[in-house]
Order: sequence, then C-alpha cells, then structure tokens
Amino acid sequence: MVDTTAVSIDRLLGTKTRPAAEVRVVPWYIWCGVIAVSSSIIGGYWDISWHRSIGRDTFWTPAHVAIYLCGLLAGISSAYLILSVSLGKRHAAKESCVKVWGFHGPLGSFMSAWGGIAMLTSAPFDNWWHSAYGLDVEIVSPPHVLLIGGILAVQLGVLILILGCMNRTEGVSASRLSALFLYVGAMMVLLLQLLIMEYTWRGLLHSARAYRVISLAIPVVLIGVARAAKRRWATTIVTAIYTFFLLGQLWILPLFPAEPKLGPVYQKVTHFIPWDFPLLLLVPAVALDLLAPRVASWAAWTQAILFGSVFLITLVAVEWPVADFMMTPAARNWFFGAHYLEYNFHPSWKPYEFFRIERTPSDFWSGMAVALACAILSTRLGLAWSEWMQRVRR
Amino acid sequence: MWLFPFFLLLFTSSLSAHVGSPDVFYEGAAGPYRLMVTIRPPLVIPGVAEIEVVSASSELRELQITPLHLSGPGAQFAPTPDRLQKSSDASASFTGSLWLMEQGAWQVRIQAEGPRGQGELSVPVPAVAQQSLRMQKFLAVGLFILMLFLSVGAVSVVGASLREGQLEPGVAPGTFQIRRARLMMAATAVLLFASLFLARGWWNSIAQNYERRLYKLPQLSATLEPQGRLTLRLPDPGLWKGLQITGNPLIPDHNHLMHLFLVRLPELERFWHLHPEQMESAVFSQDLPAIPAGRYQIFADVVHRSGFPETMVTEIDLPYVPGKPLSGDDSAGVGRPLSQADRTANSSELFCGGRMVWERDSLSLKSRHASWFRFRVEDQAGRPVDDLEPYMGMAGHAVFLKTDRSVFAHVHPSGTPPMAMLALTERGATSQPDPHARHGKGVPAFGTVVSFPYGFPQPGEYRIFVQIKRVGRVQTGVFDVEVGL
Repeated sequence: MVDTTAVSIDRLLGTKTRPAAEVRVVPWYIWCGVIAVSSSIIGGYWDISWHRSIGRDTFWTPAHVAIYLCGLLAGISSAYLILSVSLGKRHAAKESCVKVWGFHGPLGSFMSAWGGIAMLTSAPFDNWWHSAYGLDVEIVSPPHVLLIGGILAVQLGVLILILGCMNRTEGVSASRLSALFLYVGAMMVLLLQLLIMEYTWRGLLHSARAYRVISLAIPVVLIGVARAAKRRWATTIVTAIYTFFLLGQLWILPLFPAEPKLGPVYQKVTHFIPWDFPLLLLVPAVALDLLAPRVASWAAWTQAILFGSVFLITLVAVEWPVADFMMTPAARNWFFGAHYLEYNFHPSWKPYEFFRIERTPSDFWSGMAVALACAILSTRLGLAWSEWMQRVRR
Repeated sequence: MWLFPFFLLLFTSSLSAHVGSPDVFYEGAAGPYRLMVTIRPPLVIPGVAEIEVVSASSELRELQITPLHLSGPGAQFAPTPDRLQKSSDASASFTGSLWLMEQGAWQVRIQAEGPRGQGELSVPVPAVAQQSLRMQKFLAVGLFILMLFLSVGAVSVVGASLREGQLEPGVAPGTFQIRRARLMMAATAVLLFASLFLARGWWNSIAQNYERRLYKLPQLSATLEPQGRLTLRLPDPGLWKGLQITGNPLIPDHNHLMHLFLVRLPELERFWHLHPEQMESAVFSQDLPAIPAGRYQIFADVVHRSGFPETMVTEIDLPYVPGKPLSGDDSAGVGRPLSQADRTANSSELFCGGRMVWERDSLSLKSRHASWFRFRVEDQAGRPVDDLEPYMGMAGHAVFLKTDRSVFAHVHPSGTPPMAMLALTERGATSQPDPHARHGKGVPAFGTVVSFPYGFPQPGEYRIFVQIKRVGRVQTGVFDVEVGL
C-alpha cells in the first residue's frame, strides 16, 4: 500500500528520499483546494441568486456557508501542509519549500492560507457593511473586494500547488492535474465574471464600458492559465467550463422554489432567479487557441497586441448581435433566461432596452479604443504571469 | 484607527411626522380582534423594526407580519410573512421584528388567526435613516489587527516567492534573490499602503453618500405679512424628491393639507392649532388669530402623496397681532406657564367651564413604554359628560411636547399615524387620497373618556395638550408630566 500522503508531499516538494513512482492519485490537498474553489464559486452565484430571489433572512444562508467554506477548507488544508513540513523532521522537505515567518511550506499553501484568512476576515466586515449601508446594493464594495481578493489568492495558491505537482508527475496523473489546473483557471474566470457582472448585464452590452471591463479582467487569466497549462486548446477548455457552469446555474436554479422575504417586492418571484446567459468567451477563446501555435516564437508584446486585439474584436463581433437577440421575446424562455426579473426590479426600469453609457459616437469609440488598450495590457500581464508561474519551483 | 472612519452619531432628534418620536403606536381591529400595536422603526436604514402586539383578549393563536410600501408599486406584492412570537409570560402579547430595507412610507400588515377566524390590520410606518451605524469597537479593533496581519503576510509571501520560490530545492538564495525580494517587498508594501489609502477614501465617499441621504428635520420659512397673515414656505426637498418620498404633492389629512401648531416660548402657556391655506405648491398662508407678542415655536404637519408624513419646524418672533377670530377647525388653548407647572396635577380647567381629568394609574411614567392616556371630561358640576362632538372627525386630538421641544407628537385616539396614512393602508396602492380619511372611524363611540395610545421616547419633562369639542367649541386641557427612564 503506497503511503499516498507521504508520496504526495514528496511529489509536491520534489524530494528524493523515495524513488519516484507513478501513483494514480491526485494529492489530497489538491482535492481540498479544488473543492474549496468550487464551493466558493457555487456559493457566489447561488448567493447572487439568493439576493435576487429571497433577499436576506440571515447572514448564514446556505450560499454564504458555501462561500466561506472555501476559506475554511483552504485555510485548514494549507495550515496542515505548512505545519507538517515545518514541524516535521525531514530537512530535505524544508529545503524544498519557501520560508515565511519561520514556517516552511509550498508557496501555493501560503497563498491559499492567506486567501482563507482574508475570506474569513471579510465575513464580519461584510455583515456590518450590510447593516450600515444596505443589502448588496453593489457587488463591488470594500468587504466584497476583500472577499474576492481572498478567493483569488486561494485560487492562485491552488494553481501553484497543482503546477508544482504537474512539474513532477508523469502519465495519467499529469493529465489529470492538467485538467484540474484548467478547471481552477475556469473558476478564476467565473470569479472575475462575478466581480464585473454589474457592468456586463445584457442591457449594457452595447456600451464601450462593458467591453472595457471585460477586456481588463478576463484576458489576464485566460492567457495566463492557458499558457501555463501547456495544453492544446487550453483557452477553449477554460471558457467551455465557464460556459457550462453559467448555463448550469441558468437552467438549474429556477427549478427550486424561492419567495422574497424582504420588501419592497416589485416582481412576483416563485423560484430562484439565476444570472444572465454567459458571455460568449468561447468564441475568442477558440480564435486564440488557433493562433497560439503560429505565434509562439513572437515577442511577448507582439503576442499581446495580437491576442488582445483578436480577443476584443471577436468578442464584440459575436456579443453585440447576441445582445440584440437577448432583448427580443424569442430570448424570454428557460434556455436563454431573458425573462427572469429579480423581486426588487422596479417597474419603471426597462429590462429589454439598452442602457447607453456613452452618449455620443465619439465617446463610444474612444471608450472602445481604451477597451483595446485594456485587452492588450491584460494579455501582456497574463503572459508575464504565466511565465512566472512556470518558474515556480517550491 | 485611521483606516476605519468612525462616524459621529448624526441623530437629529427628528423623524418625519412628529419630532423626536419615531415609535408608532396604533390601536385597531384585525377582523374580530382588537390589537394594540407598537412598532419601533430602526434609526439606520436598512434596519430591523421591533414589533409588539398586545391583543385585547388571549384567544389569538397566531400573528404574522409582512412589510410593504404604503403606496406605489411596492405595495402590490408582499414578501413571505414572519411569525410573531407569543410571549411566555403574557399570553396576549406577541413580539417580533422585520427588516425595513428602504427609506419611505411603509406599512406593516398584520394577519391574525384565532378561534373567531382570521383578520388583517395594516399599520403605517414611516422609516427614515437618522444616523449612520457606528462600528463596534471590538469589531474595529479585530478587523484592524487582521488588516495588519494580512498586509504583513502579503508582503512576506511576495518576498518568499522571489527569494526562494524560483530556486531548485536545496539551493540557498543568493544576494541577487535576496535583494530582489527586498525590493519587491518594499514595492508591495507601498502598493498595499496606497491601496488601503484609496480604500479608505472609497469607504469615506460611500459613507458620505449615505449620510447625505440621512433624514434631516425640514426647516420651514415663516414670515409675518401685513394684516397679521403668516406665510410659510416649505423647504426644498432636494434629493428626497428623487427618492419619491417627499417633494410630491401633499394630500389632505382629515380635510386639511397642513396642521399648524404654534406654541409660545419659553413658557409654553399659549397654544394654537391652525389650518393654513395652500397658496402655491410650497407656500401656505394663515390669517392669525389674536396673538400676544413673543417668540413662538411652529410645528407644521403634512402628509405627502407617497404617504410619508412630515413635521416641519421653525421659530418666529411675533409682535402683538390683533388678528381675526378663530374659525372653522382652528382652535387655541391656554395653560399655566411652565415655570409654574404642577406635574402631579391630574386635572385641567376648560375654557367653557368644567374640567378635563387625566385618568392615570401612577404619577410615575417611564419612557419607551406604550400605554393609554385617558382623559375624562366633566361638566361644571363634576359630572362626566357624554356630549363630546367630533373635532375633525375625532373624539379628540393630543399633542405631546417635550419642554425643550426635542419631541413633538400629534396623536389621535387610534394612535400616532396620521389619518391620511391609515386611509392609504385601507384603500390600496393606486387609489386616490380621501380628504375625509377615517373621519369617525376607529372611534367606537364618543363616550365620556377620550384616550390616546402613546409612549414617551425619552425621559424628561413634557406638556400634553388635549383637545376635545363640546358645546360647539374646541377646548384644550393642558397637563404636565415628568417621565423617567
């Protein structure tokens, strides 16, 4: 019987005290990390739906519990990993780790632990904030930024841990780890989508601001994760997981009953209201994957200009007409979900009209120019991040 | 703690209708069940309103409560009701709480169930944010410590990633790695500091935006025109108009768009209850009766179309005004100067002879305690009268005024909500306001006793003006009381 825990740590740390063996298991702390990030994303979208359908009855709703479970699980599993190395007697293990405040551990575990603590710190802060300023009037509030920063740190930590394992594993496990790496990358894209969702609601998809925000937030992760995975069609796989998840919440949440518990209630709600139909990131992802092998030897900034431009142009090319379609009665069904309105959607608001952020064509086009610059910059950051991730050894 | 802005309490001692008296007291019927309802709205919105319902009998099995807007689209659909908890020591008492999520005119719908079937009663509740929520000290300290921990932790992790993170196992970091790590740690620290500084500014702007929306007591502008005509200008509602809470047309409250109260300062010995005419949307005018020279406190009660009630205030110095005789529903009252007040006296002489007697169980009254204020009217022979006439549709009107004028409440026999608000709860969201709202309703009969449900919001000295109508004249009894904690 192979001691998977010991082998897992050896494999993670690259220590040579035991002979390398192909073990068809993913280390337990990787699974903990994957479950943790999944829990936070499921909880996050569920929480959005909860607030749109029920409002708030208590801080400890199932959705909130799912979110904070991520912090708890990441914190505990990382702490265990760090303490087992720090307090263990194997000197080689310590030499294979980074050192923070006298503790030894994989870099990814320190990141995850930091993220877990940040998430749990945000909980009482967010509870107080709701009482002081209102119930999730905006997603982007100081406590939410702390929470999202914590989840991002957990995700980054898990990515680093997986990458460390991937670099020392062959065969089936390597393939499995690569898939998990892309999965966690997709969770990261979903988290960023959650952060920017107030700017990418369908009524805003004819404004430059929406594309500016998408171009800033998404390419860095798509490119960074895909490059580090060194896998064909990596970007497509990440966006496919993203799309599948969002379609899942769109189709599954409305199956469950929910009624508002807070007033004022402007719309009759009987079931959970999901978030919108996903952005068509799949299309620019396929374009990027088709281009990637052809430009692998280009300079980083040149690649960034190309990829950033292709990302934005293909995204706008598909999203613009689809946004038009989403405003029509043909989209008001369970598949596209354009008919769902949250309970506090005021009757004077117009759910099937575009909201023009930019009042003049020149404002719009200058906004799109900025969006292009954001896409390029974000892509370049993604490339740099990918290079850094691939250099991590501990 | 520089990162956590501590807000000064901005309690402005005001709340929409009435001044400094935010709690709602109401007595009404939910089907066959008579209920006495006390609602204590939160001072921070969104916030939790505490609710207590006392039934006239102990037969009630269950009470459920739901918050809705008083008017408009938010009055159409009700959220899931909450159940009130039956008190274990008093079987006729129920308590519970509700979230009020926005500022404005709300109603709490109470559904009663018992052996005599079901019944429903709606109680209007104005809800405004009057203060910012201050972060508890232990929470602020804890978050500050965690912020420091996370900041130092982040800098340390960045340092570790650059110092050792890219080295092969067993390789010690060299001078280059150490220097690079220190440089990046310093840069990270600067970046973190800048981020926290920006976050503090962000938080401050959110807090300031919230505080701009805090309710402030509206200040009237009052000027005395020639011929003894008092002109009142309503203040600009500002952003409250955009919130559609105030700034919309006024609706009549038992036949009058404004109820104006004048009280002479500082002795509070002279009292007038007048009803100015509306000249323009924000301008009212009143021919004053004979008024001695002096400084006067003005309270003006109005109700907006949204159902939101307001009491506007100002002070004015008036010369002697010969004035015109009181007419219509206008009335006056005279009491002892405050400096000669007898806070143990239970009776007040009435103008046309006779007296008003306060039927109180105890001289000791406590603040924030709901109770009935019962006043018996007696003729000159000391016999209780039974010929009270309706005064604006009511058996009586009462004004509870704290001697420092930080509390003012105009109360009816049914309770503290203005009649126009109650009419909106009965008629529904889209109906037109009734100028004779609840005239004669909620008053079982004009017996010998007129009573008012109320609870003093603060300890201190109060003067109570109680107005009834008899033999064709409005008469005012004046009482003084000291309220303890």
